[in-house]
Amino acid sequence: MGLLTNLKDSISRVTDGLFAADEPKRIGIYGPPNAGKTTLANRIARDWTGDAVGPESHIPHETRRARRKENVEIERNGRKVTIDIVDTPGVTTKVDYKEFLDHDMDKDDAVRRSREATEGVAEAMHWLREDVDGVIYVLDSTTDPFTQVNTMLIGIIESQDLPALILANKTDLPGSDVQQIANAFPQHETIPLSALEGENMDEVYTKIAEYFG
Amino acid sequence: MPHQCTTCGRTFPDGSKEMLSGCPDCGGNKFQFKPAGETTDEQPSSPGDMPSDAGREPSADDRKPSADDRKPSADDRKPSAAGSHPSASDDDGASAADDSASSPQPTESQSSDPPSVDSQASESETADTQQSDSEHVRERTEEDVAQASARSDVVSPDELDRASRDVESGSSATESGPDTPADPEGPRPDIDDLRDELNEQFESIRIVSPGKYELNLMELYDRQEYIISLQEDGRYVIEMPDAWGISDE
Repeated sequence: MGLLTNLKDSISRVTDGLFAADEPKRIGIYGPPNAGKTTLANRIARDWTGDAVGPESHIPHETRRARRKENVEIERNGRKVTIDIVDTPGVTTKVDYKEFLDHDMDKDDAVRRSREATEGVAEAMHWLREDVDGVIYVLDSTTDPFTQVNTMLIGIIESQDLPALILANKTDLPGSDVQQIANAFPQHETIPLSALEGENMDEVYTKIAEYFG
Repeated sequence: MPHQCTTCGRTFPDGSKEMLSGCPDCGGNKFQFKPAGETTDEQPSSPGDMPSDAGREPSADDRKPSADDRKPSADDRKPSAAGSHPSASDDDGASAADDSASSPQPTESQSSDPPSVDSQASESETADTQQSDSEHVRERTEEDVAQASARSDVVSPDELDRASRDVESGSSATESGPDTPADPEGPRPDIDDLRDELNEQFESIRIVSPGKYELNLMELYDRQEYIISLQEDGRYVIEMPDAWGISDE
């Protein structure tokens, strides 16, 4: 009997270990619209898998469905970290089709985009609750980070005890103020980067391995 | 009670979360929606109403009897109707612009008794805006008169246009009117307060107008089921927790 129990224990230890090693962590890339989430997701995916995640655009809410890139293997300092990247739609409390009309879009398309963006936010919030093991929170360092959405999302992430990495994106732009973001969320480490130009990606990958490995 | 389980008849207030995972009593998952106006409950305000309606509702409820009395009075009970609403003449200022012909039956009411035209007009303004809401509580005889009138008369395009304008301006007209003391429930709440209150009540996604949405992020995060498709007509499809095992990737 004791032998059987021991055997069972050791089998379950092995299978647990296998699953732990096999199941990559799902890392959600969150943030407000137009912070550069898809640009970052594409940068990471291209650097480590050669593929992109999805189209990037300067029009808000280009990403209206969460997109996943699975089994992204990141190597840092001799360590391999495998993650699934989930690029999520920008989170906001208001979606208005009128903001799309300026981007050479007719009203019907703008209304449809607005509806899809709203569904996308609902989906992103659902993923945050159910399907994410860690969060990369992307902020545009040229804009004020003290917003209701940022405060609420960071609060939710903290309440879930999810590991979170805050990235101050768009450091290539003249108005970039990384310190403002660091001040807004002093309880978290803030990493500056330009996902578009690929600046400081080394540090980003090191931190990803450290936080989510 | 706006929502009712079609199996056991249990009712739920609008905005109730209890029914989201089925009826707690019988487990039924079919519900019918009854707007507050469909019942005789004297709810001070209904969460499901549009903000502008809610802002106007308390006074409109109070005035229902006078609005109802007015209809028969146009035919045969004019003196008693006019005498029973001394405060109606206070409405002159608010309704002066519509005095000329805002009654649903202009030919009858205006020709029968000119001195009461003012009170009729002011009351009819309220009646126009509340016509659909208040019909269910009318006395049978009054309803018969109104029905008979509706069947016999044909509304003119001009009246339709005016009636729609009355609805749009109804809340501001009654708010600014000098007859507010007639409201026994005290001062009418500010429309902005009501809007705020209603916004707090909306569950997860509020459709402000086509293509315009307000999202309650905490609600979206907190709820187990999630919205997978918004329909153009305001309906939406949610994925229930029970379905996860089947449809999850």
